[in-house]
Amino acid sequence: MIRKSLFVLPLVLAAATAAHAAGPLALGSAIPSADVKMKNVDGKDLSIAEVKGAQGTLVVFTCNHCPFAKMWETRIVELGNQYQGKGIGVIAVNANDPKVAPDDGYEPMQARAKERGFAFPYVVDATSDVARAFGAARTPEVFLFDKEGKLVYHGAVDDNGQDAAKVDKAYLKDALDAVAGGKAVPVAETKSIGCSIKFRS
Amino acid sequence: MPSAIPLLVLVLAAAKAPLPTPADAAAVHAEIGRPGASAVLVNIWATWCAPCREEFPDLLHVARELKGKGLRTVLVSADFQGEEAGARDFLSEQGVDFGTFIRTGKDEDFVNGMHGEWSGALPATFVYDGSGRLVRFWEGKASYPVLKKRVQEAIARKETP
Repeated sequence: MIRKSLFVLPLVLAAATAAHAAGPLALGSAIPSADVKMKNVDGKDLSIAEVKGAQGTLVVFTCNHCPFAKMWETRIVELGNQYQGKGIGVIAVNANDPKVAPDDGYEPMQARAKERGFAFPYVVDATSDVARAFGAARTPEVFLFDKEGKLVYHGAVDDNGQDAAKVDKAYLKDALDAVAGGKAVPVAETKSIGCSIKFRS
Repeated sequence: MPSAIPLLVLVLAAAKAPLPTPADAAAVHAEIGRPGASAVLVNIWATWCAPCREEFPDLLHVARELKGKGLRTVLVSADFQGEEAGARDFLSEQGVDFGTFIRTGKDEDFVNGMHGEWSGALPATFVYDGSGRLVRFWEGKASYPVLKKRVQEAIARKETP
């Protein structure tokens, strides 16, 4: 039996490692790369540690070019702006290589943040290593940490990217309410279709 | 034959890809598991996904080249329901002449139903061997030589179980 399991293992690993360099961050994990400085759209360098909130911290991997990020953008901005006032630190991170997705360059990011009224920072993950450390794979993909800095929610904004009016489960909003109120998050991990992050090589 | 050219244009214009069939993850798995293939190449794409569109010619190149070796290619559009026509236009442009799918239902059910390791990022490609076992899975586009090698490895696994 042991021999058989060992034989099978490399195949399983090959399949798993193909998905992400290290797999997505596990629930309960601390904020990875929290001290890495990233350039914000206001020109200042900022780390996730610097935006940490008293009640929790929301890290959103998003971008300008992805149609799915755009579909959820209004909701992301509303939630980010709203919960920033409720003790949640909020930061949007763009890890895409602008050589692959030119719309994700710094200037288009500045324009986007202004145009859409981001009240929270929108920073450049200039090596894509922050996204790698999170095991983020797509945009949009959100990670919510509680006030102790432990990951309590990871995944989608809600269950309907196409139509905000038809959302059944507002996963991120529910998780934010729970974290802001010091309660347990109802659904901790979800998925959605999205754009693959264009990692810098 | 002055009428030959307009006729040819007409025939080409009429050579539309079949409209993608709505399918949930279970229906896609049923197609993967249907006996008779030496390997199954599954690609999940969308009209709005630039890297998906970029890799499509390479994907179809491999699909056509290895069809004779028993490869079954399963294309699944992740476009929304109601966007079948747009998906078909792209498939037609690419010269797809076989049946394909368009996913139905909630993202979460579809993504987890396809494979637990899949984050939902597009494109997503799965390569199964002839017995329906997953051999390779990755997110993001792959080039023709990479695609071909991975499919050939899956076909070869049939001979060395």
